[in-house]
Formats: sequence, structure tokens, C-alpha cells
Amino acid sequence: MNAPLFQAKDYKSELKPIWCPGCGDFGVLQGLYRALSAIGRPPHEVAFISGIGCSSRIPGYTTAYGFNTVHGRSLPIAQGVKLANPELLVVIAGGDGDGFSIGGGHVAHAVRRNIDLTYLVMDNQVYGLTKGQLSPTSPKGLETVTSPLGSLEDPINPLLYMLAYGAGFVAQATPADMPGMSALIEEAIRYPGFSFVNIQSPCVTFGEDEQQLKAHKGKMKTLASLGHDSTNQLAAMDLARAYGKELYTGVFYKNPNPPPTYESLVKLRQAEQSKKARARHQILEAYLQK
Amino acid sequence: MTRQQQTPSIDFTILTLKDALDLAVLIEEEARDRYEELSAQLVLHRTPGAAAFFAKMVRIEELHRKQLIEQRHKAFGDAPVGVRREMIFDVEAPGYDEVRMNMTTRQALETALKSEEKAHAFFVSVLHNVQNPEVRKLFEELRDEEVEHQELVKAELAKLPPGDPLERFDVGDGPAPQ
Amino acid sequence: MLDDLILGMAGAGGDGVVSAGESLLSAASSEGYHALMTKSFGSQIRGGESSCRVRLSTKKVLNPGGALDVMVALNWEDFFKFGAELPLSVNTVLIYEEKAGPPPETLAARGVVPKELVPVGITELTKKSAGSDKAKTSVVLGLLSGWFGIPSEAITRGLKKKFGNKGEGLLEANEKALAVGIDYAKAHPLQAPHVIAKPAGTPGSKMLCDGNDMCAAGALFAGVKFFGGYPITPSTEVMQTLTREIWKYGGTVLQCEDEIAGLGATVGASFAGKKSMSATSGPGMDLKTEILGLATIAELPLVLLNVQRGGPSTGLPTKPEQGDLFQAAFSGHGDVLRPVLAPTDVEDTFRTTVECFNIAEQFQTPVILLSDQEIAQRKEAVDLIDTSKMEIIERRVPTEAELAAKPYARFALTESGVSPITHPGLKGGTYLAAGIEHNEKGDPTSSGAMHAKMNAKRFRKLEPLKKRADLFEVQGNPNAALGLIAWGSTAGVAREAVQLAKAEGHDVKLLVPYLLYPIAEQVYANFFESLKHGLIVELSHQGQLYRILRMFTEVPKGVRSFTRDGANPFQPIELVKTLVELKGLPS
Repeated sequence: MNAPLFQAKDYKSELKPIWCPGCGDFGVLQGLYRALSAIGRPPHEVAFISGIGCSSRIPGYTTAYGFNTVHGRSLPIAQGVKLANPELLVVIAGGDGDGFSIGGGHVAHAVRRNIDLTYLVMDNQVYGLTKGQLSPTSPKGLETVTSPLGSLEDPINPLLYMLAYGAGFVAQATPADMPGMSALIEEAIRYPGFSFVNIQSPCVTFGEDEQQLKAHKGKMKTLASLGHDSTNQLAAMDLARAYGKELYTGVFYKNPNPPPTYESLVKLRQAEQSKKARARHQILEAYLQK
Repeated sequence: MTRQQQTPSIDFTILTLKDALDLAVLIEEEARDRYEELSAQLVLHRTPGAAAFFAKMVRIEELHRKQLIEQRHKAFGDAPVGVRREMIFDVEAPGYDEVRMNMTTRQALETALKSEEKAHAFFVSVLHNVQNPEVRKLFEELRDEEVEHQELVKAELAKLPPGDPLERFDVGDGPAPQ
Repeated sequence: MLDDLILGMAGAGGDGVVSAGESLLSAASSEGYHALMTKSFGSQIRGGESSCRVRLSTKKVLNPGGALDVMVALNWEDFFKFGAELPLSVNTVLIYEEKAGPPPETLAARGVVPKELVPVGITELTKKSAGSDKAKTSVVLGLLSGWFGIPSEAITRGLKKKFGNKGEGLLEANEKALAVGIDYAKAHPLQAPHVIAKPAGTPGSKMLCDGNDMCAAGALFAGVKFFGGYPITPSTEVMQTLTREIWKYGGTVLQCEDEIAGLGATVGASFAGKKSMSATSGPGMDLKTEILGLATIAELPLVLLNVQRGGPSTGLPTKPEQGDLFQAAFSGHGDVLRPVLAPTDVEDTFRTTVECFNIAEQFQTPVILLSDQEIAQRKEAVDLIDTSKMEIIERRVPTEAELAAKPYARFALTESGVSPITHPGLKGGTYLAAGIEHNEKGDPTSSGAMHAKMNAKRFRKLEPLKKRADLFEVQGNPNAALGLIAWGSTAGVAREAVQLAKAEGHDVKLLVPYLLYPIAEQVYANFFESLKHGLIVELSHQGQLYRILRMFTEVPKGVRSFTRDGANPFQPIELVKTLVELKGLPS
């Protein structure tokens, strides 16, 4: 086989992650480097977009272009990046609070536009950066500093959410299974359309013991081992219902016939409309009243 | 974007000696890099004892790697490398979740010991599939070396003063909210 | 012969008076008149009261004008809902639907007696000629043509354009109604004729457009490649125009799920290296403000149009008010400086938009383009703008050779404060853009010393703006003791007031800032120097520019804030009267 153009380490920046030792995000970052190396795009053609949160620090730890933006807005910002330059490989990284709480309103629209973006959510069921508050994926009853007597609300199910919105690629991974996770990230990036990977990335500081990677190793079940057919959207939704109870990893759903991406339609429209362009100094003549 | 083959996994039944040697190099390289990363994490999080021990492990793993590279060059010169780092994970490298802020040197040594045990188990497990006699020989040697490494770490552990009775408690400041 | 004619029409939404005003405007502009139209509606989505004002002139029109020369009321109830927008004077010819009866007491209570009251059986004439009352406004257009000299051929052309493909019978009915109106006017001459002179311009030489059109056209001229937005009155037409046009020039419009996403996508596209803009109005501006902070610290160029409307909240979404200057200059978190520019009429919205893009790209900053509902939505017939000498500025992107020569520092602390900017795809230029404070390379930092340096850089780079004489209009005798300062749509009223004052023998100078923020202290200090009395004219309750000037400059005692709440337009003559009154006071 040919040597890869870029090795995983070519995507690693000099910046040292600020994450707590033992954090699940270290593994995710490693998996990301691996997936990028497998895909082989040079770092300067890759843009990482993130919001705010521990996991949103990821762009700085890569040698790619990065944009560490504001809380909850990575999805619209990434759409602007990709539409402005569809040749780029654009990956969005963020946490469960960033994606499903403050930024939750953007998810449905990012999915329905089907822009070729890959959205990686590092789901740790807690707000780490602000010190351990309840997150939208925290299990009901969880005691945190903002739910000292236990939370009264059910968590969001990110997998069902994405499937219901019609995402063409929905997967779940854990850094406890590095080869599996990096292969899933790679597959998500290669999917021609909006793709989503929910990565169970435990918070070592505020997470519960049963959420840590050691527990994942015992708990995880690959969807392949369950005989799941990832082209079956309904079966995917059925399995996704176990979010929070079971740790299924692998591809829940991958549209076998991906529809054209938004940007490919934009390109067609631009090509067709470009014939009607006026010279710059004649733009105003359109307003002449004859 | 053209569709490419995803990173292939290793088929040990047909592994050649050249690839096996290169794989062994990569295993050491991975361990070296990981110790380096973990050491840096612990430096950043003011855990100097464990960080220093991991830095020492960086040097040891680098030494092993160089020895293997030499062996490889003697046998195969500059023949192209046929395996990739992405084909392996955590063979001899401690897991990212093995470290904690304020971990003691003893805990760091225990982590290294666990990693040597893990590497040993790896070679034991893949040897079931290896058919090439030269590769078998190499992997058996590497397997046995892991036992030697374990003994070295155990000896280091024995030299340490008795365990801190408060070792399991984290008394540090909580994280800074951002 | 008159060289200026101001007409008003009011009726129920179903009558179509605004549509008739548009026909009149279109006819006049195609004949070569300068013209301007403003419209005003009730709050109903359809069928509420509606009105329009059309000002025709053989010279450049500076503002919608004061009292009407001609008013057409299709019924009294709707007419009286528009107080300040449809002012009458002793010179007004008031034409009204005969069947509505004579003007009620309310008219007298306003204290004006129109010069001539002309009842016309408009509905009856329509029914007789068109066989329906659905062509009422064509009778009105006929009357206006017959009495005031607006060429009927142009109106007929307009009717053809409007109704030609709407189905059989409609055009014919309207043509008949028009003819009846013209005949009626000829058969019933006014006491004093009011005929407008022929325009000097050649037919077909005028652009018919509103401020939002000129903003969209300016953006295309500047080379906009991305627009992210969300519909909000009164800015939506900019997105509507761009989403029809931008593809031709290789760009994209993304109608987003909300205001935040609109500016988010815009800042993303700018990060990716493209000229980008968004548009909104006050309430949407609030939602976008957090992202503006991001664009400021990440030093990403973008233009954000805010078409001001009456506020707060939903306020008066279809009426003008200059109430968002504080918001444009000061809203948002952090210790920041963002340029704010305001156009003053439809025509200069084009130039101001291009200028905003130039400033954004040159200085790597978000720029607020602060228009208002009147400029944005009033239709004007203006001369074609000569763009041949207009400059387009692109952002300073390092070449790959430059990048290969030495390590790239995105936020290098240069003397000017502007650092070379790369974008994804450019080899050797990778960096981390971030909302977090950073060092020169772009790596996150929490160092107070670095924060101070970066703040200084972000402020320093905008200093040259204050020295740009072309961002200020100063006219009149520099030593004049009387002066006016006005911005945005109010500037047009002030310009006409200066002309009126001159005609009355008063020496009044004028300052119109296009750059509203940062405050160019020296420009104001120079202007204030000779002033004994002056007015800072603003369509808002507080007078926001006046208050900002008091923060940054020494405003002489004799210079006062002259304000009126939104939706209550100024008339040029009242500015002159107020100034002359001030003249008598000690300064």
C-alpha cells in the first residue's frame, strides 16, 4: 500500500490541550488525527469550527485552519464557511450543551440543508468548562451544582433527534474503542452530506464512574454485532431509543442514496445564472426607468 | 473527494517479517509519543513526580524503538514501510484515561506496569494467528521482553517509599470555571 | 410653471393608492423627472389605511418635502389617520371623493384652510367609465395628469406595464378610467393652475429605486459573495434582491433560521475569505450583537445593515426613527470600537454601502451600515450614478511566497494595527481564529498584558477613519454663525433648510457625517468653532448623536438638540424658523 500523504501527527499542533488529564477528549482528538490522515487532505484545506466548551477547544489543537467561535453557533458559522468555499473539508466539533442546548435551534436547519459538513459532538452529559452544571443530555435525577436535589427533566436523545430531522449519516462512538471511533469519524467525513457522530467522551472531573472509558469498554456493543442494517432508518430509530441506557457504537443510519448537497445545487445555480451577470460598472443600469 | 479504502487492519496470518519489525517500531513509537503527551499534560497540571517518570518512559521507549529500527535496517535496509501507525492503538501506550491530575509517582509507575502487561497480552494474543516462523520468533522475543520490562518497573516500585495512605484522595483546587 | 410638486394620496388599502403612487412615480421618472415617493400604512397586513407622498421635481429632490401641494383623499377617515405625514397648508389643493361629503370639523381643527377644495365624484366616474369601481386610482391619475401636467403618455405606458399581462379587460378598464379623469380635469379647470414644468433630463435617464435597492446594488458592486440573513421589516428587500442577483456573480444567499444564524453564517463566510454581509433592523441587531463581538476580536470583515424603524421591540416597524445609533455604536459586550456609517438618501446608500465594504475589508472589522426606514423604502427617481471612479478595496491577503518566507502571525502587532489575513485553503497561513483573546500568532491567552496590546491594536487601526474628509459633508460659509448637523434621512431635510435659509438671507452652514462612529472629534471641533447657534437635528426622542457628541467633544452651549419622535417627519421650513429664533438669543 502507498504511504499516506499526511500522518496523524501532521495534524497535531504545538498547542498543549488544557483538558484535565484523563479527559475523554484526548482520545477523540487522537481519533480525529487518524481519520484525517486516512482521508489525506492537507491541513490547510481543512477548517475546524467549534463553539464554546471544553471540546470546542479542539480547533486549536490541530494544524488546520480553526475557528473557535461563540457558544452554540458553530453550525451556522460552519455553514457560512462551507458555502463560501465548498472545496474545504469542514468539521464541526462541540459539546452536548453547545449543540443541543444553547445551539439546539440550529441543528434541524443544518440537517435539512444537507451541506457537506461533519458534526462531532463530544457528549459528556455535563457542563465541564463552567464546572459541572446540568446539561441537556444529563440523565434524569442527576445531582449537579444546578440540580443539587437531582434533575427533574428527561435528557435529549441526540441520536433520535438527528434521525428524526432526517440526517443522512448518524453514528455513535467512544474513544474507548479508538480504531472503531476513528473509522467512524472517517466514514462520517467521507459521507457526501451532513453527517453526525455522537461521541461519548467522558468528563473525568465531573462525570460519574459509570460514564468513564473503563465502563465503556465493558458496556459498549457494536451495532454490527447486533446485526443492524445501517440503511434501515426505522431500525436505526428503534435502536437509538436506547440512548442513555445502552452504549451502541457504529453507524445507526447511512443514507444509501445520498441526495445532492446544498452546495452542489448552489454551484449549478451559479453556473446557470452567471450568464446574466452584468459588468461591475453596469450593475446600476438595471434600475434605469425606460 | 475520491473514495478511498479505509485504514486496513492487520492480518497477522500473512504478516511478513519486515512488516512485523516495522509494526514493532510503531508500537514503541506510539508508546513514546503517548508518554510524552501524558507527561506534558501532567506538567501543565502541576503533577511533577508522575510527569518526570513518564518523561523517563519516553527515553526508554525511544531506546527500544531505536534498537528495533537498527534491527530492521540490518535485515531490510531502506525497503519501504508497509504498515501505518493508524493500524494500531494503545498496544504499549497507556490509555488517555489512565492519568489524573495530582497522581503520585507510584500511581504513574503502576500505570506503566499495566501498559507493559497490556503489551504482553497483545503479543500473546496475536501469536495465535502468526504463521511465519520468523515473525513468531520476533514476537516471542518481544513478548518476553515485556516481562523483563515489567520486572524493571516492579523493581522501581519496590524502591519507592511505602504508599501514601491518602493517595486516593484528590485534595487539589477544583477546575477554574471558564 | 412649477419646478416642484408634492402630491399626497390616502385611502383604504383596498383602493390601491400606494400602487397608484408607484405608477405616478414610474411615469414621472421615465419622463426624466427627479422624483421621490414615501408610503405609510396602518398596522393591518392588508386593507388598513394607506397613503403615499410623491414629490416630482425638475431638480434633485432632497427629501419628501413639507406641506403638500396636492392632496387626494378617497375618504376622510383614512386621511385623518396620517397626521404629520400628510400636512396641508394654505397652498394645498385638496381633492376628495365627493360622496364622502365636505371636509369634517377635524380639518378646521388643524388650523389650516386649504387653498382650494375640489370634490370629485371619483367612484361614480370610475363606474361610468370602467363599469366597476376597481379602477378608481386610474381616474385619480387622470385628474392629476389633467390638472398638474404630468404627461398622460407616460402614465399610459405605466398602466400597460402594470396591467398588460393581468388578464383581459383590466388594462382596458383602467385606460378608460384614466381618459375620463383627464377629460374631467380639462372640463373643470382649477381656480389657479398648478402645472409642473417639463424635466431637463432625457427620458429613460433616471434610475427608479429605493435605499434597499441601492444597498443591494452597492453590495454587488463591491463584490459581495455571501449574504446570511433573516427577514425583518424594513430591511428584507436587501436579502430579496440579493437572492435574485448574487448567483450571477458567484455568490450565495443563505436565508437562515434566525437572526443569530444569519450573522453567524456571514462571519463564517468572511473567515473563509469572502466579502460577506447581513441585514437586519433593531430587534434583530440585538440578537446579532454577540456575533459582532466575535467578528471584532477575530478581526473579520463584514457589513451589517441595520435599517432603523420605530422602536423599541416591534415598535413602529413600518415607520422611520433614528433611535438605533446608541445601539449601533455601543451595543454588545466588551471594550470595542466598531465603525458606523449612515447613508442620507437613496442615491448615497449606494456609495455608503461600497464604503462600508471597503472599510470592513481594509481594517478587518465589522461595519454597521445604519440606514432607516425612510431611506430604505422610499422610491426615488435619480440620475444614474457614475461608478467609473469608485474604488474597491480588498483585504490584505499575504501571498504563498510571503507565507513561506517567515512564520505567519495572524494578529501581528503592526504599526497600523492591521495584520495580513489568510483564509482556509491558503497554504502556509493556517491559524486559529477565535472569540478568545489571543497572542500575535492566534493562540489563546489569558495574559492581561497581551489583552492590552490587542485592544490597542484593534482601536489603533480605526484611527485613520476620523481623518477621512470624504466621510463628512460640510457645506456653506465656514465662518457662519448658524449651523445644522443632521445625519441619515434627516440630512435631506437639513440640506433643503440650508437652501431655504439662504434664500431668506441667513448664513447657515451644514455638517452631515456619514461616519457616525468613531466620533471624529476634530471635524466637529472645526465645525463648532464659528457657531453661535446651531441645531443637531434628529428623528428620535433623545437626540442620540447630540448625546454622543457631548461624550466626545465640547458642544457649544448655543448648539442644541432638535428632535422629534420617529414617524413625525421634519419639514425644512421649521428648521429655518427655529434657527432664526435662536439667532435672537444670547449664545
